Order: sequence, then structure tokens, then C-alpha cells
Amino acid sequence: MTAPALDELIAGAVALEKWPLARLVRLFEDARPEAVPGKAAAIAALETHGALPRAMVAGFTGTPGSGKSTLVGELAARMVARDPAISVAVLAIDPSSYRSGGSILGDRTRVHFPIGERRLYFRSQPSDRELGGIGRATYPVVRVLERLFDYVFVETVGIGQSEVEVERLADRVYLVLQPLGGDHIQFMKAGIMEVPHAFILNKCDVGAAARRSYHALRASIDFARPGEASPPPIFRTSALSGEGLDDVLADLVAHRTLRDAAGRRERDRYFFEKWVRDEYGRFGLDLLERQGGAEGLLARAATFEAAQAAYRPPVAPPG
Amino acid sequence: MNSPNDPGQAPAERLPHRLYDADGNPTKDRPWIFRTYAGHSSAAASNALYRKNLAAGQTGLSVAFDLPTQTGYSSDHPLALPEVGKVGVPINTIDDMHQLFEGIPLAEMNTSMTINATAMWLLALYIGVARERGEDVRKLQGTTQNDIIKEYLARGTYIFPPEASLRLIAEMYEYCLDNLPKWNASNICSYHLQEAGATPVQELAFALANAIGVLDTIRERGVVPADRFPEVVGRISFFVNSGIRFIEEMCKMRAFVELWDEITRDRYGVTDPKLRLFRYGVQVNSLGLTEQQPENNAWRILIEALGVTLSRKARCRALQLPAWNEALSLPRPWDQQWSLRLQQILAYETDLLEYPDIFDGSVVIESKVEELKRQAREEIARIEAMGGIRAAVESGYLKSQLVRSMSERVSKINSGELVIVGVNRWTDGLPSPLLTGEDGGIFKVDEAETRRTLEALAAVKAKRDPARVQAALKALEAAARSGANLMEPSIECALARVTTGEWADTLRGVFGEYRPPTGVEGQRLYVDSDRVAEVRRRAEEFVRRTGHRPRIVVGKPGLDGHSNGAEVIAVAARHCGFDVVYSGIRLTPEEIVQSAVEEAADVVGLSILSGSHLDLTRQVIEGLRAAGAGDSIPVIVGGIIPRDDHEALRALGVRQVFTPADFDLADVMSRIMDVVEEQAGVRAR
Repeated sequence: MTAPALDELIAGAVALEKWPLARLVRLFEDARPEAVPGKAAAIAALETHGALPRAMVAGFTGTPGSGKSTLVGELAARMVARDPAISVAVLAIDPSSYRSGGSILGDRTRVHFPIGERRLYFRSQPSDRELGGIGRATYPVVRVLERLFDYVFVETVGIGQSEVEVERLADRVYLVLQPLGGDHIQFMKAGIMEVPHAFILNKCDVGAAARRSYHALRASIDFARPGEASPPPIFRTSALSGEGLDDVLADLVAHRTLRDAAGRRERDRYFFEKWVRDEYGRFGLDLLERQGGAEGLLARAATFEAAQAAYRPPVAPPG
Repeated sequence: MNSPNDPGQAPAERLPHRLYDADGNPTKDRPWIFRTYAGHSSAAASNALYRKNLAAGQTGLSVAFDLPTQTGYSSDHPLALPEVGKVGVPINTIDDMHQLFEGIPLAEMNTSMTINATAMWLLALYIGVARERGEDVRKLQGTTQNDIIKEYLARGTYIFPPEASLRLIAEMYEYCLDNLPKWNASNICSYHLQEAGATPVQELAFALANAIGVLDTIRERGVVPADRFPEVVGRISFFVNSGIRFIEEMCKMRAFVELWDEITRDRYGVTDPKLRLFRYGVQVNSLGLTEQQPENNAWRILIEALGVTLSRKARCRALQLPAWNEALSLPRPWDQQWSLRLQQILAYETDLLEYPDIFDGSVVIESKVEELKRQAREEIARIEAMGGIRAAVESGYLKSQLVRSMSERVSKINSGELVIVGVNRWTDGLPSPLLTGEDGGIFKVDEAETRRTLEALAAVKAKRDPARVQAALKALEAAARSGANLMEPSIECALARVTTGEWADTLRGVFGEYRPPTGVEGQRLYVDSDRVAEVRRRAEEFVRRTGHRPRIVVGKPGLDGHSNGAEVIAVAARHCGFDVVYSGIRLTPEEIVQSAVEEAADVVGLSILSGSHLDLTRQVIEGLRAAGAGDSIPVIVGGIIPRDDHEALRALGVRQVFTPADFDLADVMSRIMDVVEEQAGVRAR
């Protein structure tokens, strides 16, 4: 992309025009090594336009069927509707087929979004055959969106393994569950009780089962996380009726604390090493150590993308 | 099913192949009710059509409503405008209903209304017309289709979530029991399940499980006293499809009769055999009607009619036949007349109605029926184990089963295992003279009629009493919240000249709107693997060249809810290595544009079956242009698109047009890949 074309693209994206924004996101989804310089240039241009990281990144994870998609969509729509100064981006991740590599990104079916509202941007993303609930393009795209929006909601695939990655990515993690049969052993078996900052028991429109599940979940958390000074909140919601959604919104607002510099450095280091491992494997990691490690490269470069551009990979890049 | 000619009861001189009346005199059966599914443009135009059809010897009415009426929007709603009068008649207020039945005495007519989410409203309007005319409401006879389950599964004109929808159905049964004793409040409709791909066993099992769901709901509510519950059971009627495999279809009907007798006796303890009768109407299969060599459809329709008339024990109560050119467009009056003549010849010229059941004692038929019954019982047991029909819908189980059956059907057509004359065998034919008339053999809706409908709506709004309207809507809302029966408040709304949109919006405000699980989960495709591999290879090459996977947005603009075609394409595209943004049904063009733009789609695929393809496509293309993506995101269109309109679509900028003739999925995907590659300026081959 030529410099004037890039500048026009960035100006449009900063103004939250949807088509430039969508193209900018596509640039950051491009995992090819030859895309790295373009990404570094785009981030530099964003900084020139004053688009510095400002968003709270909220991760929403949970089992399929918990109603995550509807919930996250409703939260985003309500967030922009109730405060005209706030903007929200949603990044919804769906699994890719191992056989064909293709995917069905169906989360848009769940909610009717307002038309032409620039402060609300919804983007689907395939997991790209990755385990871990987020795709290899997720972090690069979050790095763009967090400079343009006040909140970035990341909805993960939710297959059990995803929580670790989401914890690295998000400032606050919500685990979305649906009412179970009322047996707290079932919650325990899920084995995902340690990570989340807060729990959302969705589909609470189903009545008695929801009440029983609430108490079972409370008991499970106490059991799984003994000795925590303040136990994590459990929100009871119904994305259908709207019940409880305002409480989650209030929680998001209350925790809109930006990561400090050390937190950002740690997040960059983690995803830089992940990037090297994903693209160049163990040998790539060895080379990274010889080039000063992720921390060394990141310290010398202006941005994450510039560090990627500075990294010298093992051989001519594959593909 | 005792009749005077049953063996054992017949006096010695009676012959087993003759029919006798109660006095022992030879007789013949009365014909079934002849109907034609009809309605279009406006209430006035449809009324003229009904009167013509009745004069031609039709004996009942079957009303087709347009999509806005079916989904609870008045004609002046933005989502409604392109669809007004397209696939049926628009009904906004009781005055439209007066117009629709002008000159037709309601108490003497048997009227079937294909209406579901707004069934209560249309029945309220019908009752309102009878009341204002001074006709005896208790004499009203007919059916409101009112089967919400198959709307969720196949047809898509639902509005409310399942619990509220089932409540509306139950309340109509409860109301009709005393007030309209001859009215079928709902009609378990397996017709659309077959259209969506159901096998005979699935059609049997899903329809019967559905009927069980309705009856269980009514029984659990406890409004109908236990001693009158058998009357409710006796009001359950069915609407069945009849396909081209007519022996199996006939056996399916016999299986229906026997299973229903069993269920009503064993599950509901109904002792009166009359209340256990399987009462059903039929529309024969439209799915198998072909766009290629459309004249062949006349034979298909005849054969399909035999499946539901040959066996006396399982003969339909009412029959409506599609027209030979239904795969091309709405039928013209002459096409409908031709279909009606088929019924009249079958009933009056042939000896069909002179015999008792001609299959009794056939070892082959009995064995086939037993097999269908056994398999259907197993499937019903599976659904029951899941928690019944509602749970099986909400979990997506039924939908995924249907989509799988449909995929299997499509792949059998692809492989040639399923022969369709003129489609995958004997495809070279002489041009049909039936298509060479001045109108090209197809029907076009007169656009001026839409204006008349809108003017009529505006006129009613101007002259009605606003205070009465407000009071009626308030009472409706209060009843919806309190759980009181909504029929009387709806009738008052009708009399107050409330509009269709106002009635539905009031209930939307209380019940919310339903967003269903789609059929894209768990779907499998059975397509030619070599050619799929080739498209996949091109997709991988595309990823290498552009840095992203080809991305298609599949959307259905407008109110037409037949989502299966779009879903098959969505799944095929994933199978071929696309990222597919499936954004569901009932979308405005603006919503599809927003999806395509936000997702940076490489191509937008629109699926349109309602006839509004020109309007809707134009709006999408203009929307993309306005967003700055007009030159970047190509548009393709699939659906029932008359050949004459292909050029018009291309002139709008559409890059590919797909019709039911494009049944070969590998070919469809390859052509979509062509568009994507061309747009991106990369060529894999």
C-alpha cells in the first residue's frame, strides 16, 4: 500500500467508517511474513493519528449453548445505546473445520444490530484450526481495535482450553454458563473455575433450574477457590428478556482500568513468543533467544509489529 | 373406521368390491374438497380470483397470504414494502378481509388459511367479518394452519418464541371448542418438512410428535375440562405432502392413519373412533417440480395426487394441487384451472370413488406400512426422550436431521442415483410451446396493486376511532401479560380496525422475538469429492496469494423464510474452504450490507425465493456502493429467478445468478470461486 493510500485508510478507520476499518482489520488478519511491514506501518500511522491503546478488553468464554453470542451482542448494543460517548468492538471467534479449513461464522445471526452506528463494530473471526479458543489473528486484530474503541469484547470458541489464552489477552474474563441440573459437581467437572474474574449464569429465564444452578455455582466457586478475599461475582442474566444485563454493563464500566505498562509488556512478550512458535516452531524460538529474546526485541522496537519486522526468522519463510 | 361394507358386517348378497350406504344400497363416495392455494396482489384481485375458481367448480378456498401478513408487518413497514402482494394477499385490517370475501358467504364456505405466527389475528379478522355481516359465527368451517414448529424448522415465518407461540395455539383451541366448533384451530403441517428434505419416516415421526406436543400443551394447561379433551383431540387435523414415490407415499398415509389411531387411543384415552380419525388435507409436492422441461410437472402432479386418493382408508379430506409452472413463477388463472380439472377428472370421470379400500389384504402394502410405522415409532421415542418436540426444535436436532436428509437428496441427484427426468437424465428436449405465449407462460404481479393496498390502509387509519384502537391494543397487551385468552381481545382489535402490524407489535413487546438455531450445525454434504478438492485447492491458493481465506456473506433479505437453500450453500462453502458469515433470515438489505462491509467479505450471496429479487438486490448493491465497497464486494444471487430477470440482475451488477437448475453444488462453488478470484485479481488456474 502506498503511503497516501495507507493514510487515507487510517483516517477512515480512526473516524470509525466501517469499510476502511474492515480493510484495516483484514490487514492484521494476514499472517504471512510479508504482511509484517505493512502492519508495522499501519500501527505507526495509527499512532500518528493519536490512536493509542485505550480500550478495556473483555473476554467472554463459556461452553457452546450457553447463549454467549446473543449475550455479547446484546451487551454491546446496550452499551452504545445508553452512553453516546462510548464505542464498542466485538470480535467473535468461531471454530474452523480441520478438514477444509473453512468455517461458519454464525454469531451475527443472534442479534439485530443498529444500522450505520459507527460506535459499534462487529467482526467475526475463524479460529483457523487453532486450539485455545482464540485464533492466531486475534491478538493482532485486538491491537488495532483497542486503539479505536473504548471496549473490545472478545467472544471465544469456548471448548474448555480457551481460558488460558483469554486470560492473557483480556483485562477481565467472564465465564458464561447456562443453568445445569443443579448439581455443583457438574460445574466442578468443567475444570474452568479458577480463571474468570466473574461468572455469568445466562438463560436465567428458565426459572427454578436457574435458582438451583446459582447456588450450586456459588458452592463450586467457594470450593474451587478457597481463601479468596472477595469471591468473584455471579451475574444472573437472560439475553432474551434483558434481565441482569445492566448489572454486567455496570461491572464492565467499574473495571475499566487500563493495563499498566508492565502488564502491556508482559502481554506483548507472551503473544510475541506465541507468534514465533506458531510461525517458526522450536527452531524459531531458539533463534529468538539468540536475538535477545522477545523482551529484548520488544524493548528495542517501537511497537509489537516493529519487533516482528525486526525478528530474523530461520529460513526463507514458508509459503 | 367401520363402514357398512366391512367384511363380517356385510349381508350375504353384498359384494366386497362394492360400496353400500347405511340402507344397504350401492353407493359411491363423495369427492374430497377441491382447493387451489391462491392469493396475490391485493384483497380485491384475490377476491376476483376466488370467485372465478369457485365458478369453475372449486369447492373450498385456500388463502395464500403475503409475507408481511404472515410475519406481522403492515404493508407500509420498510421490511414489508418489497414483498406486498408477492406470494399471497396482503391483509392489513378487517376492511381488507371484507374485501377478500366479498360475495362469498362465510358460513357456507370451507376456508383454509395458510397462516401461522399471526393465525390468531387472521381468525379474529375472519370472525370479525362474520360478526359485522351478521353471519352465524358458530357455522364457520375451515382451518388456520397455525403450526409454529414447522415454521421454526422449515418455513421461517415465526415471530414469537416457542412458549408464547404454543400458548397462542392452545388458546385458539380453547376458544374454538365452544365458539367455532367446526374450526380446525391448527393443522399439523408436515408438508413443509418434506419440502425441507424429510424422508417419509421423518415426516411421520415429526408430524406426530408435533401433534403430541400441541395436545400435551393443551392438556397441561388444564383449561379444557378432562371430559371434553377428546373433542380437542378430534379437532387436530394434518396437512401432508405427497411426493413422486407414490406407492411409498400411499403407505405413508396408511401409516399415519394407523399410528394416529394408536396414539389417540393409548396416549389420550379417546374411546370414540370418530374422534380418532386422521383428518388431513394435501398439497402435493412442489420440491420435485422442475424448472427444466416444466411441462413434465403436469404428470408429476397427477401421480402425486394418486398417492393420497387411491387408498380409501387413507384418502385426503381436501386436496390442492400446484400448477405445472410453479417452479417458474406464481401460477396464472389458466394454470390453476388446469390443475383443478385434474381433480375433477379424477373424482368424476374415473371409478375411483366406487370402491372400498383396494389395498386391504395386500401383503406388500401391509409390510411396507408396518416398516414405516416401526421406524416412525422409534424416531418418536427418540424425540420423546429428548423432552418432546419443543426440546428437539430448540436443541437444533430436528433441523439438523432435515438438513442432512436434504443434503443426501441433493447429492443423490448430483450422482444420478436419483433420476429426475429433464434434470439429470434426458435433459435435451424440444422447446415447450407452453412457454411461448405472450406472457412467456408466467405470471407477473401488477405493481399498481401495491399502491391500492397502501391507499386502503391509509384510508382505514384516517377514518377509524383512535380511542377505540388504543383501548383495544391496551386490552390485548394486558391479556398477554396476565395470561388471559387473547381471542376476544384480538377480535375487538379487529373490529376497532387495528392493523396487522399493530397487533403483532403489541405482542412482540410482551413476548419478544425468536431467533432460532440454524440448520448449519451438524450438516453434512455428499458431493463429488474430486471437484470439491479442486475448489479447496483454489481456496488454499487464494489464502497464499491474498493472506486471507475467501470469505462469503450468505444472507436472505426480505421476509421469505425458506432458509434451506441458503444453508446448503453456507455449508457447501465451508466444505470448500470458505469462511462463511451466515447472517440468517429476515434481514433488511441494510443489515446484509453492514455484515458484508464490517466483515470485509470477498463476495455476498443473496438467496431470494419471494419474487422480490430485483428490488432487494438493487438495494444491496446500492448499499454497498454507499459504504464505499461497491467496487470491492461482488454480489451473487440465488433463488427462484425467472430467466427474463437474469439479464436485469446482471445489469444491476450481479456477477452470477443461480436457480434451482443449478443443483450441482460443486459446480456452484466453482463458479463462486471464479467470482472471488476475479475480484481479487488472482487466478489459481
